[in-house]
Amino acid sequence: MGRFIKTWRRPEKWSLFRPDDRILLILIGILVGICSGVAAVALSRSLFATLHWVHSFHIYWWAFLLPGIGAALSSLFLNNIMKEGAGHGVPEVIYSVSRYGGLMRLRSSFSRLIASWLTIGSGGSAGPEAPVVMSGAAIGSNIGRIFSMNERQRVTLVGCGAAGAISAIFNAPIAGMVFTIEVILGEWTAVNIVPIAIASVAGTQISRFLQGNNIVFDLRQFHIGFVDVLASFGLAVIAALASILLTHLLRKMPRLARKTPLPIWLRAAVGGVIVGLIGVAFPVVLGEGYHSIQSMIDGAFTPGMLLVMVATLAKMLATAFTLGWGGSGGIFAPSLVVGSLAGLAYHRCLVFVWPAVTWAHEGCFALLGMAGLISGMMQAPLTGIFLIVEITGGYGVIVPLIVVSAISSTVCQYIEPASFYLKELVDKGQLLRPGTDARVLSDLSVHELLERDCISVTRNMLLRDFVQTVQRSHRNFFPVEDEDTGRFLGMIHLDDIRPYLFNPGMYDAVVMEQIMNRGVEVVRPEDDLLDVLRRMDERRLFSMPVVSNGVFLGMISKATLLDRYRQELRVQTQFVA
Amino acid sequence: MGAKLIHIFRNTPIGRESLLQSAYFCKQADATPVVYIPRHTKFLMYFENDVVQVDLDSSYLKAPDSAESRAAELLFEQGMEADFFKPKNFTASTLPDIPTHFDFMCCPGTISDLSSKIGLGYIGPRVRRILNEAYFPVLLASGVYKPWKRIAVLFGGSANALNAFKLGLRLRRTSGLPLELYTRREGKSEEDYRSIMRNANLEDDFERHADGWHFFEDGPIEESLYEIHHDALVVVGAFRHGLIKDMVFGSTVEKIQSVLPNNLLVVGPKYTFSV
Repeated sequence: MGRFIKTWRRPEKWSLFRPDDRILLILIGILVGICSGVAAVALSRSLFATLHWVHSFHIYWWAFLLPGIGAALSSLFLNNIMKEGAGHGVPEVIYSVSRYGGLMRLRSSFSRLIASWLTIGSGGSAGPEAPVVMSGAAIGSNIGRIFSMNERQRVTLVGCGAAGAISAIFNAPIAGMVFTIEVILGEWTAVNIVPIAIASVAGTQISRFLQGNNIVFDLRQFHIGFVDVLASFGLAVIAALASILLTHLLRKMPRLARKTPLPIWLRAAVGGVIVGLIGVAFPVVLGEGYHSIQSMIDGAFTPGMLLVMVATLAKMLATAFTLGWGGSGGIFAPSLVVGSLAGLAYHRCLVFVWPAVTWAHEGCFALLGMAGLISGMMQAPLTGIFLIVEITGGYGVIVPLIVVSAISSTVCQYIEPASFYLKELVDKGQLLRPGTDARVLSDLSVHELLERDCISVTRNMLLRDFVQTVQRSHRNFFPVEDEDTGRFLGMIHLDDIRPYLFNPGMYDAVVMEQIMNRGVEVVRPEDDLLDVLRRMDERRLFSMPVVSNGVFLGMISKATLLDRYRQELRVQTQFVA
Repeated sequence: MGAKLIHIFRNTPIGRESLLQSAYFCKQADATPVVYIPRHTKFLMYFENDVVQVDLDSSYLKAPDSAESRAAELLFEQGMEADFFKPKNFTASTLPDIPTHFDFMCCPGTISDLSSKIGLGYIGPRVRRILNEAYFPVLLASGVYKPWKRIAVLFGGSANALNAFKLGLRLRRTSGLPLELYTRREGKSEEDYRSIMRNANLEDDFERHADGWHFFEDGPIEESLYEIHHDALVVVGAFRHGLIKDMVFGSTVEKIQSVLPNNLLVVGPKYTFSV
């Protein structure tokens, strides 16, 4: 029995998969795609049912409290029951991929689903997409762990999970695949693309099987003229500005929330109640907002231009209060709503200023705005383009869509180099994208690069004895240690003491303590090698002593570091083909 | 002093006893204690093929202002310098990552699900997962500071038991304390166990460094354990039973821990140390 379990948990050793693991990855990718697709459909269906049920309470005066109750329950569930850390979900997936080979906790495969169901189902302004991405990624990671997959294979399976989830929730296989590669993995390799594409198909198929082959937003035919394409440049800039504003609000709000002396769950409740109050005036801000998007595409969104502009700001605020104050969910759906509102407002401005021009239908601008926001927030133009094409089921708007997505992401990148998902990771130096110095060096440690062939000298050693030591050594550096405690005191570099070496009169007059360099820059074993390399460059050093708890361990040199860097780069890139 | 032990410090009477125990262990094992003072009630440990979330209770966050100075004082009293670990990486803002490259870990008591036994570092599912994945052994400190004067290795003949014996030898060398082996026959002869030792090329080391090998007849495990000296550090390999067997009969290491008041050092399957 034990042998059987051992065998099936290591499928890469089966004769079928031994020569090449691609078939194995595709098969497991299908499994991951199906599981993550089921998770995504489960959340989507439960949200649909819950929002419908909660809607019946909106006639009561106390309905504004509902988002607060939902957010508080969500926070209590996430923090007290699941003991999960705060966060939107997608940055955690990217972090795990870039730093820990896609290792994720099993609990992450369902915790965010339940938490976001509570938040969004009660009317909180958030999207279910980031939670399903996290859930799918965690499913992929844990299936990879069960089958004892290596780091590279596990990362691919995390991608399969994310792709399957996005594909299932939007019924959009290409968007799922492109989002995963563009946003989550950050690299396009043949090894990754095939299993991820298959997982996207599996996720889409399971979604179609469970809830039918429905396009998320029914699209009417738009007639797009040259003036609309020209106008899309302006919309791209508006979308970029809206993306930056929303990003800033989402980043500032948690800091503001932390300043309030309230328990975490109460903060979430306060944020939710504020959203409920905003929702009294602007019901469009409540929930994930797909219904409102559909009415905007259909041209059935009746409020006037100014009210649409205010609603755009209100949706941004509601999203920031929901997510920033402790609710759970993602920014995908809110970005779509803000984008469509911005597009609608822009169209109405155009009509107001140039009433004689024949513009495309306002629903078309709502779509373009959605693409602009998604591309701007995530700085992922391809995701924006393919998502809108797939969720609306038409290529009619492809030309202005490309214009808006490309320009919006470029403008956002110009103003804010890191996307919403990556900003925090970049600020903390935790983003290690494939092929970067940081990623290569993260797999090496100071311990691996230690050069231990240095000869230590004691502080009371005479120069005469030291000269003999120099004769035995092939190094220019000599660590000085305390003879009693063994503690590191400083370094002697031959260049620094050359005058003494050629003056035999000093041989019995000088001891090491007098000529050593005490203020030497040291490295600790736990230091990041990227930081070590930076310090070497800044101070023009070629090697540095490694000291732990006051004890000299060895030297680390730039030559060895770069040599191992090249070796590691070869290892990390051998599968990228 | 190359080896390092990670200690999760709790600024409470029990937590301070536990730090003293870690400090004593470090002295004997020629290791340096690295103290982590938690700012959050959870942290993650990323191993090669698993990620373990350790959940602490709120007592770990008590008196944060004085925690560092108290820990430093305690270590100073033991003639050691405090080295505090500050997490650099965070999976989420309230979820720091603790590196797994340490040579030893002193396990905080509350990461087991037996919360009634806080402070005793009971082996729960999390500790088992850590043991399964870690390259380091886990020290389960006794509730109160109790210096140990000998090393007792529980040797059952498995690969993990051989690892435990190797670890016992390592401690014997660094501490100079006597090392004894304890074995339950479980239907085998003494010669069977000696041949396991021989096949692992450890017989010479045993002859040179060990101070005795005690064999027990089969019977309740508790009765065998009473033979072990109260002032011994018990080194034991993690027993690898199936999940169902563990659920029905309980884990052997848990039984050992519940019977013995001694400090326990548990070695997992990935611990590697060549003698």
